[in-house]
Parts: sequence; C-alpha cells; structure tokens
Amino acid sequence: MRYRSQAVAYWYFAVAMVLFGLQLVFGLLSAAKYLGPDPLLNILPFDVTKVIHTNLLIVWVLTGFMGATYWMVPDESRTELYSTKLAYIQLGLWVVMGVTAVIGYLFRYGTGNKLLEQPLPHKIVIVIVMLMFLYNVIMTIRRSGRFTTTEGVLLLGVAGAAVLYLPALLHYENYTVSIIYRWWTIHLWVEGVWEMIQGGFLAYLLIRLSGADREVLEKWLYVIVGLVFIAGILGTAHHYYWVGVPQYWLPIGGFFSALEPVALVGMAMYAYSAIRRSGLAHPNTLALHWTIGSALFTLFGAGLLGLAHTWPSVNKWTHGTLVTAMHGHAAFYGAYAMIVLAMITFALPSMTHDRREQGSAVGYWSFWLQLAGMFGMTLSFATAGIGQVYLERILGLGYLDTQLKIQVHFLMLIATATLFSIGVGLFIWDFFRTRPRFEIVAEGAPPAAPARVAVT
Amino acid sequence: MNKRQARLFAIASTGLATVAFLGLTLHSHTKFDELTNAQNNTPQVQSGRDVWHKYNCVNCHTLFGEGAYYAPDLTKITQLRGEQYLKAYMRDPSAFYDEQRHRRLMPKQNLSEREITDLIAFLDWVSKVDNQGWPPRPILVTGASIPGTDFGPAQGTSSGTASTLPPGARPVTGTENPIALGAAAFRSVAPACNACHSTAPGVNMAGPSLAGVAARAEELIGSPEYKGQAKDVKSYLIESIRTPSAYVVPGTMYSADGTSFMPNTYEHDLSAEQIDQLAEYLSTLK
Repeated sequence: MRYRSQAVAYWYFAVAMVLFGLQLVFGLLSAAKYLGPDPLLNILPFDVTKVIHTNLLIVWVLTGFMGATYWMVPDESRTELYSTKLAYIQLGLWVVMGVTAVIGYLFRYGTGNKLLEQPLPHKIVIVIVMLMFLYNVIMTIRRSGRFTTTEGVLLLGVAGAAVLYLPALLHYENYTVSIIYRWWTIHLWVEGVWEMIQGGFLAYLLIRLSGADREVLEKWLYVIVGLVFIAGILGTAHHYYWVGVPQYWLPIGGFFSALEPVALVGMAMYAYSAIRRSGLAHPNTLALHWTIGSALFTLFGAGLLGLAHTWPSVNKWTHGTLVTAMHGHAAFYGAYAMIVLAMITFALPSMTHDRREQGSAVGYWSFWLQLAGMFGMTLSFATAGIGQVYLERILGLGYLDTQLKIQVHFLMLIATATLFSIGVGLFIWDFFRTRPRFEIVAEGAPPAAPARVAVT
Repeated sequence: MNKRQARLFAIASTGLATVAFLGLTLHSHTKFDELTNAQNNTPQVQSGRDVWHKYNCVNCHTLFGEGAYYAPDLTKITQLRGEQYLKAYMRDPSAFYDEQRHRRLMPKQNLSEREITDLIAFLDWVSKVDNQGWPPRPILVTGASIPGTDFGPAQGTSSGTASTLPPGARPVTGTENPIALGAAAFRSVAPACNACHSTAPGVNMAGPSLAGVAARAEELIGSPEYKGQAKDVKSYLIESIRTPSAYVVPGTMYSADGTSFMPNTYEHDLSAEQIDQLAEYLSTLK
C-alpha cells in the first residue's frame, strides 16, 4: 500500500467476499430446486432464491468495482483519496441498501422486473451511492492533477453505469417498451460500460504486473473500447428479437452481436502479448493467473458462447432455454467476477499480514477449483440447454416432460457447482485468514517481495 | 496508429454507434403502437401487468422468452389454454400438476379473482403482440406436439389402461377439478386420445389437432354443414366422443364413406362421467 487511504478498498473487498459467499448459497439452493421436489416450496420458492442469487451478484461485483477503483485511483494519480470518510459513508449506505433489499426479497418486496427488482427507494439509494462514488473519485483526480488514460476509461465506465441505470427508474405503460429500456440498463452495462471498467482494471493490472509500456497498453485500450462500443451498442438488438419490435432489429442485432467477440479476442491478445513481450516484472503470479484468466474466460464465456446463440435464426430456437443460462454464467464469471478477484489478489498482499506476494497454495487451489467448477457448470447448462432445445422446441415435447428427461444434467450442475463453491470458499477463507494491515510501504521495497524488480 | 488516433477511433465509433442506435430507437417508437396493439393495452391489461410484477412471475417463467427458465414460457398461453382452464389452474396449481411426479410445482399464489382475470387479460394482450412469429413452434406445458412422444415404456407395449399415465402426467385421485381429470383422461383412457390427437396448433396426425377445438365447434354448430344433434360446444364434444361419425372432419385421412376412423368404443368403455370430464377439458382448448 502506497497511500493510507487505499485501506478503504480492504473493507469494500471484505463486503464483496461475504456477499459472494451468500450468492453461492442461493445459487446452490436454486440448482437443487431444478432437481426437486422442493421441501421449501412454500417458504422459499425458486423465484425468491433466484432473485437473491442474481441481485447479490450485481451488488458484490459493483462493491468489488468500487473497492478496486478506490485502490487503483490513488496509485494512478499518486495521491491520497479526496475523502475516506465519504468512502466509508458510501459503503455503509450501500451495505444497508443491499441487506434490506435481500431481506425484502424474502418477503417478495420487489418490482418483479427481471434483474431490476430493487424497490424504488433502493434504486434511489443506488443512484446516490454512485454519485458519491463518482464525486469522490473525480475530486481525487482533480486535486492530484494527474489523470491517466486507464483511469479515464475506468471513470467513464463507472459514470456510464450510473447514467444507464436511470431508465430503470421510469415507468412504462407498454410492456414491450419497458423491456426495451430494461436492456438499456442491463445489456449496455454488461456488454458496454462494464467492459470499459474491466478494460481499465485489465490495463492497470497488466501495466503493474508486466511492466509493459504504458503508452502502448493505453493505445490498445482505446482500440478495445472502440471495438466494444461499435458492436455492443447496436448489439443490444439481440435482446429485442422476439419482444415486439420492427423486423430490422433482427439483421442489425445478428450482425453487430456477431462482432462483439472481436473486442474480446482483442482483450485476450492484449493481455497475452503484454506479458509475452515485457515478461513478468512483479512477483504476484497468482494475480497474473486471475488477470489472464479473466481475459481468456471472457473470450470463452461472453465471446464464444454468446456467439453460439446470438444469430436470429439460431436464437429463434434457443431463446429462453437453459442455453441462455450457460452463456450467462460463463460470461459474467469470466468478465466481472474474475477481474474483481484479480484486483483483490493483486492488492491483498499489501493490505494483510503474513502473506507472500506470490500467492499461497490455497490461492492456487481456489483458482483452479473455481475454473474447473465453472467450466463444468457451463457444460451442464449447455448439455441441458441443447437437450431442451431439441426435445421441447424442435420435437414439441411439453416443458415439464422435457425437464424430467434432462435431470441428469442438473445432477452434473450440482456436482460442478459444489466444486466451484469449494473454490470460492477457499478464496474467501484465504482473504480473511490474516489480519489487515494498513501501513504505507514505499514502492519498490515491499518486505514480502525481495524479487521485485519493477520500477514504475 | 498512435495513441491520439486510437482515441479518435474509440470516440468516433462510439459516437456513430450511439447515433445509429438512438435513431433506430426513435423510429421504433413510431411502430410500437401498431406492433403491440396499443389500443388494446387497457387499464385492465395494465393492472394485469402489475399482477405479473407483484407476484414475481418472471423469476420462474418467461414471457417473450425472457425471465427465468424454471417454468414454462407463457407468451402464447392464452392461445393454447382457455380462460376457464387458466382460472382453475391459478386458483390451485396442485390440482393440475403433481410435485412428486414433475419434481417441481408452482406454489399457490392466493390471487384474488380480480387479479386472476386481469392477469389473463394481460397475458392475452401479450399473446397478440407481433413478435416476429416467436416461438416458431408452440411451446407446450406438458404432453407432446407429436402424439406419443411423451409416452412411457408401459404405454408403448400395450393399448394402455386407465392407470398408466405418461411420466409427465399428473396422477389423479378422482376428486380434482373436472378439467384436470379430463386432461388426465385424455392421456390415459384406452386407446389414449393423445395417441392420435395433438393439442399443438397445426399438428395433424392420425386425428386432427385439437388446438382451438372449442372455437371451431362453436362456429360449426351454427353452420349448415353440421347435421348432428349438439346445441353447444360441450354437447358437440360429447357427441364426437360417443359417436365419432356424427360429424366427420373433412379430409380423406380422417374418414371414408362418412365413417370416421376414430374408434367408436369410447361410448362403452368410458363412464358418462369420464366423457363429461373429457369434454370439460377439451372445451378449454380455445
């Protein structure tokens, strides 16, 4: 830790860890319900566990984004945060919002609008928290006078996320129109501005880990951002196909979402070539695993598996089946969960006691168990989904009859999800294993890393 | 390419994509009223939409294929199931499906009668939205578009008995709603109705599809082609089961010399009560 105020990040990460663990509890519960019968049918039905599962995901990933930003901005701008007090108030407000939302969901207090289930008071708090966050970060950068491209991309991503949440606050008379604008938030988050956030973190990590030339990396970061938006903005149309829109959205959605993987290929090549060309200049090889892993798993989950069912003539058959769950799990994990875990892994040795820079054996076990588990989960959803498409959509077998015939894939889902959960459990344990330490260590001489050679 | 050019590329491409996207969105707004029959988006439909949200339906079901994948898609449900069926179902889902057999069940939602009616109005509005013809084939809740696909091994080997139901059919005790009992009988009488008849629109096999049979019957009874005795939909259906040749559906694959190919054994083999329940069920196929 080079700046005292970076300690803020630790508490954001700690909250993110707890919520991540909780997310898996509700995920496993939901998976068990696919196997059924469900002893909790009248206490905690599927719709409740599923809402909590997806909402906790959004909340913990955003918590991680905010923590990672509070870690990164002092490093990039070479200054203390504008206000640590504001950052803590923000975290407190955020946690209260998250916890009350989850408790509310248990009693079906929510809007019942997919992924935007947060009740209006909670939505308003979310906007307030995002504004506090932006204000704090912008003031920090302004005061320092040093504003890097990496920061700029990250900041625009965060600001974009706040702006794109606004359509979710409005009421629409027409259900079709309300779906259109729901995707302005959800799609343009995950296939637009959040990719800027991921790109920003990726650039930061690569600059730190590889010691590659900042000018070169930031140039390519711009190219990636351009590619993300060329494809991502008009690619929103792949959510429009069957909800009651004019026909032209079909070819537009097909063409531009087929281009979406280009940016992800770019991102993976970017990460690989940075390390390839400049070598490793930092002892934290575990963080490197997470960084490269994130770029590659994004290419697999978001790029390849997204492409697999995005074309209208394919999507016509696969839409609304477990094929979507296959893509959703792999994409979200690779792009957003893994980049947050990369930032945490990178920052952790300098904010806790007794930790080697290289990462612990537990850390590596966690990495590979999570990867294997998520890969297995993706395959389980894929095989279940493909079976469902053929039986239900093509052959015309009833929904319930089909679900009975694909039970074996749900068994596989639970087995691999257990593996994944063990991996995450190890990560969380590794995080809390040692006490936090908030002392300033001069760059270039961390006591735990004598092999350190990079000078930035 | 230098860094400045790269930045220009990022800004220009984002700008162009945004302008195109906003332009198309604006244009779409001029089409939504027509595509979604906005004139039919009445206060009742809106209040049905609120019911849909209030009970968090979208986190198990899908609508337009959007939502969760734990329960069937409901985009076209009002075109597959009549209002009476949907009302009876929403009052008590367990009368129609069995958790032990299907391994999942919709919990009873305790909807008021008003909420049920509004929700059906909303779902009916949804089913008429011009959504590029999705789904390309009907998505059934249970059963099969192609008759027999859902049969269990026991049914494949014999002509079937009243006690052998396909794996996906709810076992009945005899005290359920008559529509539910009729739905079970449809798959379990011997020979099973669904061995020849599909309930999916357009799937004509050994017998014609029974999707929309109630609406067709109503039209038929009033027309001069019809020479039978029935005065209403239910009595027409009962007549068709008892004496299949009273009216034959046109087509050389269904009849010859005015005699239907459908077995005429049901009159003896089924009880009056069973036939009544079958007619109850069939008259919900709007």
